[in-house]
Amino acid sequence: MKFGKRLKQQIEESLPAWRDKFLSYKELKKLVRLISSAELCVEYGKADVEAEFVHLLNNEIDKFNVFFMEQEEDFIIRHKELQQRIKRVIETWGPNGTKPSEAEYKDEMAKIRKDIVNFHGEMVLLVNYSNINYTGLAKILKKYDKRTGGLLRLPFIQKVLQQPFFITDLVSKLVKECENTIDEVFPVEQEDEEEIVKEQREAITVAGKGIFRNTVAALLSMQEIRRGSSTYGHFSLPPMDLPDSDLIHSFQLNSPIPIV
Amino acid sequence: MPSSFLALTSFKDKYSTSPSSFQVSSGREVMENSVSLQESSLAPSNGTLGNSSLSPSIVTNHMCASALPHVQHSHNPAFISQSSRDLASLPPLDASFSHSTASLIHTQGNKDVSWSLDRLQMFLDLPENTPAPNQLVESSTSVLASEDHNKKTNWQEWADDLINVVDPDWSKILDNTNVLNPRVEVPKPSGDISKEQPLFHQNQLVPHGEFSSHAYPSSTAPPTKPRMRWTPELHEAFLEAVNQLGGSELYWNIFLFGIQKYRTARYMPETSEGTSEKRITSIEEMKSIDLKTSIGITEALRLQVEVQKQLHEQLEIQRNLQLRIEEQGRYLQMMFEKQKKVEDEKGGAPSSASDDLLAPLPGSKHPPCNNGKSDSEALEQDHSRTRIGPGNAGTNEDKSSSGVSTKQKMPETESTVHDESGFSVSKRARTEK
Repeated sequence: MKFGKRLKQQIEESLPAWRDKFLSYKELKKLVRLISSAELCVEYGKADVEAEFVHLLNNEIDKFNVFFMEQEEDFIIRHKELQQRIKRVIETWGPNGTKPSEAEYKDEMAKIRKDIVNFHGEMVLLVNYSNINYTGLAKILKKYDKRTGGLLRLPFIQKVLQQPFFITDLVSKLVKECENTIDEVFPVEQEDEEEIVKEQREAITVAGKGIFRNTVAALLSMQEIRRGSSTYGHFSLPPMDLPDSDLIHSFQLNSPIPIV
Repeated sequence: MPSSFLALTSFKDKYSTSPSSFQVSSGREVMENSVSLQESSLAPSNGTLGNSSLSPSIVTNHMCASALPHVQHSHNPAFISQSSRDLASLPPLDASFSHSTASLIHTQGNKDVSWSLDRLQMFLDLPENTPAPNQLVESSTSVLASEDHNKKTNWQEWADDLINVVDPDWSKILDNTNVLNPRVEVPKPSGDISKEQPLFHQNQLVPHGEFSSHAYPSSTAPPTKPRMRWTPELHEAFLEAVNQLGGSELYWNIFLFGIQKYRTARYMPETSEGTSEKRITSIEEMKSIDLKTSIGITEALRLQVEVQKQLHEQLEIQRNLQLRIEEQGRYLQMMFEKQKKVEDEKGGAPSSASDDLLAPLPGSKHPPCNNGKSDSEALEQDHSRTRIGPGNAGTNEDKSSSGVSTKQKMPETESTVHDESGFSVSKRARTEK
């Protein structure tokens, strides 16, 4: 129940284009319950029922794979584009550029910074997407085995581990590269006061951005999901170690109900 | 609007001992005239409620503070607006502030409030551990005093917006008061409101006095625990009132500021060299604080990156754990398999034993029962076909069903039955035999 709620929350906070790409956890859970009730199996035979179930799971996996790979390709392209853009800005309006202009440079750099931070966020969210779908699948399989006395979980999960959507190495690498770029692009020195005064209103929009909120929600969800459960077992993840937990909790500016 | 007005009046009725006409009317008008920045993208759908988790934490203090011995239960809506501005304007959200907040938490039954207060307190508490923030605070207030001037003009405009229909005497007070620097004496306004001025003065300084065990040695009363009971109705009224006054931005700003403090505090113990630089930096950062925003966009972005980095790190850790868990599961399974084999061989004809095992079991057990090898074969098929691209819906279906059918065929070549734990299988085996 908790995971389902968490997943739902995350989906709500996620970017609109992503919302229907997540695991249909609730539906699958209902299905498991249905399967475990005697009727269905007696009528159709357990093998068929399970085959159908596996078929559905595979469909979900396909959905993840397709979406994930699309996003991955997109990220690769955007990453390249950002690099080029930065280079262009430096070469054109930078101090040593063809038409040095501090105002333009600062302006463009500000835009780049915003874009790159959001890009970074999106990539991390894709990794999160992968992970949360995997977690959901693992849970569904566990439920299935528990309710039907089946042995679906272990072999199936082995298969899942090798699916493209779960292999997030490339995206992680892009994230790291992006972080390096961010370090380069962000100013070391403090901005002066006038700049700060000018920018003050913009800071609000950063908070409102879907990506930031989504990230916060994702992080906190993860922590909650892993907060020791009643069905803790050999295959359960240990509670999460999140050092800035309190700080991040404070970012939950929109939840009417504290997420406990 | 009307509902909030009603809420306020009921609120006022409960707690105001000296209702005056201006309180009622001004409350409403304050709300209507307030620079309510509801367009803030912070709260797209959860407008009022969304911010409620934070509002009481901040405004609560004032409300309770005002219920001190001198001025028992005297509240008014105009005061709410003032106090929320005050609070937001407090540049050094002192560590001791959070102390009092904490003490107030426990006197209140409201779960929402206490939860958010706990959180707020915790991160505000952080700087407490280092002596630096207080020093920072001190120097920043003196810096602020000199920057006052500048701020005041911004303040003036906003204050005017808020209270232009309020009793002119009140507005005089507000104009005269240096809301930024608590140390500055509140100048006595003229005439008739001299009675209320102590109230105001009190309410402005007392919170600091109460909290300033180490930062502001002021002459106000030593901290006393206010005896105010927080009820759900009061809570509701608060939320309405504060939210009407541009709540979402307020909270965000306060948080941003708190976070900045937090980050400053974090850097303090970590850096030995360049500490003074960092301090100067944060002082300069604090210079820019006013009601609207506390940090510039660069800082906000930096913060965002930090959170994102953390999420990424946690995801990587989680993924590794998941991999290891499954790896271990597989290993256990393998071991069990091996052991089973040995047992079977010992027990005589392995094939007949395994047939016994397989046959009576309900059919459903068989299809998924594969060893790793067959799975990875089926998987590779899956893998390669999926990798082709998005336009594969048809073939994917075939693949998945063939995946299933391969699984169904597998058990015939199998000699053991698999199970995660290995235990239930052996149980079954025993019962079979």
